Amino acid sequence: MNLLRNRAIVLAYVGMAVLLALTSIASPGFLAVSHLRSLVVLAAFIGIVALGQTFVIIAGGIDLSVPWVLNCAAVLMTVAAKGQDQPLFWIVPLLLIAGALTGAVNGIGVAMFGVPPIIMTLAMNVILQGGILVYTGGAPPATSPPAIQYLAVGRFAGIPVILILWLVLTALATLLLSKTAFGRYVYAVGTSATVSEFSGVPVRQTIVLVYTLSGFTAALAGMLLTGYTGQAYLGMGDPYLFTSIAAVAIGGASILGGSGHYIGTIAGAFVLTILTGLLPALNLSNGALLIVYGLVILVTVSLSSEAVPTIAAWSGEYFRTAKSLSMRSDHDPN
Amino acid sequence: MTTAAENAQVAKSPSNGGGELKNWLLDRAPFLVACVMLCALVAVYGVLRDGVFSLAELNIDTAAALTLLLAATGQTIVLLRGGIDLSIGGVISLGTVLAATQMGDNPWSATFWVLLVLAAGALVGFVNGVLITVLKLQPFLVTLATWSILSGAALIVLPTDGGALPTAWMAFGNATWLGLSSSVWLLAGLICFWLWFRRSRLGVAIRATGSNERSAFLSGVSPLWINVATYGLSGLFAALAALYLTTQTGAGSPTIGKDYILPSVTAAVIGGLSLFGGRGGLIGTTIGAFILTIIGNLVFVLRVSSYWQPIVSGVILLIAVLASSTAEKSARNSLT
Repeated sequence: MNLLRNRAIVLAYVGMAVLLALTSIASPGFLAVSHLRSLVVLAAFIGIVALGQTFVIIAGGIDLSVPWVLNCAAVLMTVAAKGQDQPLFWIVPLLLIAGALTGAVNGIGVAMFGVPPIIMTLAMNVILQGGILVYTGGAPPATSPPAIQYLAVGRFAGIPVILILWLVLTALATLLLSKTAFGRYVYAVGTSATVSEFSGVPVRQTIVLVYTLSGFTAALAGMLLTGYTGQAYLGMGDPYLFTSIAAVAIGGASILGGSGHYIGTIAGAFVLTILTGLLPALNLSNGALLIVYGLVILVTVSLSSEAVPTIAAWSGEYFRTAKSLSMRSDHDPN
Repeated sequence: MTTAAENAQVAKSPSNGGGELKNWLLDRAPFLVACVMLCALVAVYGVLRDGVFSLAELNIDTAAALTLLLAATGQTIVLLRGGIDLSIGGVISLGTVLAATQMGDNPWSATFWVLLVLAAGALVGFVNGVLITVLKLQPFLVTLATWSILSGAALIVLPTDGGALPTAWMAFGNATWLGLSSSVWLLAGLICFWLWFRRSRLGVAIRATGSNERSAFLSGVSPLWINVATYGLSGLFAALAALYLTTQTGAGSPTIGKDYILPSVTAAVIGGLSLFGGRGGLIGTTIGAFILTIIGNLVFVLRVSSYWQPIVSGVILLIAVLASSTAEKSARNSLT
């Protein structure tokens, strides 16, 4: 936990708190328990997809295949379960494994064949998109089974079930990142794959594993999302490409790898969700939301940029130099 | 990092005799693979359909490929420098909605808005370049943010697809001269621009920076100038793509830009460009853009579901990039 990493994560939480305060002033009732509950549910979907994305980005990669891994899992689950709970016992584990395997293929392409992550995961995304469109013929698939709906929108003792699930996943991710050798390998590979290789870090296995994890969380989020929307539909994963990467970036991870933490990503997921809820309250359009998203990304990324202290130092130096020059020119016109 | 530069060195120096041809081939392997794939696709297309080898077909396919190609031209320049530009999606969306809502039927206002759209595209790229250099931010995140901002602006200007373009403007898109459509002439112009640009001071500096940033900067290339110029050109070409797109669709769309972001990268990579910077060019990207267009035609001619198109282009992309990384690996081995 170096200083820069802490600063970026702290900034993300400060931003989240400021947004919450602003929102509760702009629309009274925003902080009501019922509203906070729906906020948490929406943030959880971004948070779960962004879990795998966080690991991939810390390891210096990026996963663009998230939207259609998510969409494929959602469609296949609803089609296979036909609205019944019983088949879920084998469908859910099977699809989670399938998602993980898809991620593993991405990881193998990146680690073993040297394909740039953007290209490998992009190709995987379009292939899955085409595949599931051919399979369904573009028709909307079946509705979500009740058990999945309970997981997504149900409550246990007044607490949203998905929040409990999300907390468990957060605990696991934090343990994995901070307390295990694998977590240290992820940071090492993201900082420098070459140095890691020479230091005996199993670089290839680590890369394959982070993409596997990302495929797994995307498939999980896809199945849960059908419980929220009531059914699977084509294109349901598309918004999660932008939001999963944005949540990680707002959460203070460097896109170059080697820094960041899932704890920061959670703040990122909340910032994005609060903004989405804030703008209808202020009567602003979808276009305004996109503009605000962009500005928030720019501001958070700039604030945690290593250049900020340097620029402050530069400008101080510039003014000092300008001052000394003007003083000198008083004495010597040449 | 050094392989690109060293390969060029080895390919040029005649000293290692028999290895010379092999190195020349290895150096261009990704591009040659793209050429072979395009020839194969055109051959299959020609067998399946009559009249493929005609000027009319050339005109149609060029018109279909040109928007993507213009967007990919800017992307090629940015990728050669070792960056990436996602904001072209926003520039294209905003460009089409501005053109479709503001041009009117007055030629003066049309000219004014064409220039304004081009200037706006260049300005967006300029801002990207400044942010990337001065704040030391990652191109991926900066252009992701500006893409979001511009898409939002496009949605505010025109919330749904619509608007209208001057009839003269539309007529330009369908005009022909000496049997060739305006799109083919524009393509020829684009290639001429590239042949000049590639050897120009800026073109060489961009490729040098992409091959090895540090040595380029030590040789006196200014990082700010390089970033402003590459992203500025990328924004300018995205604006051109937006304007050309409106001659084909006759309307503005606030969401159409996102359909060109990743395909522009795909076209460049299929054409043999290395994402690590410094290797590739517009000729390859042109071939890549035509490969993607012909795949669309083939899917149509074969009467299979149009959903096969992304699958086939994804597989072709993987083949292209595997050919490129394999060639790079064997080039590295032959050096040591």
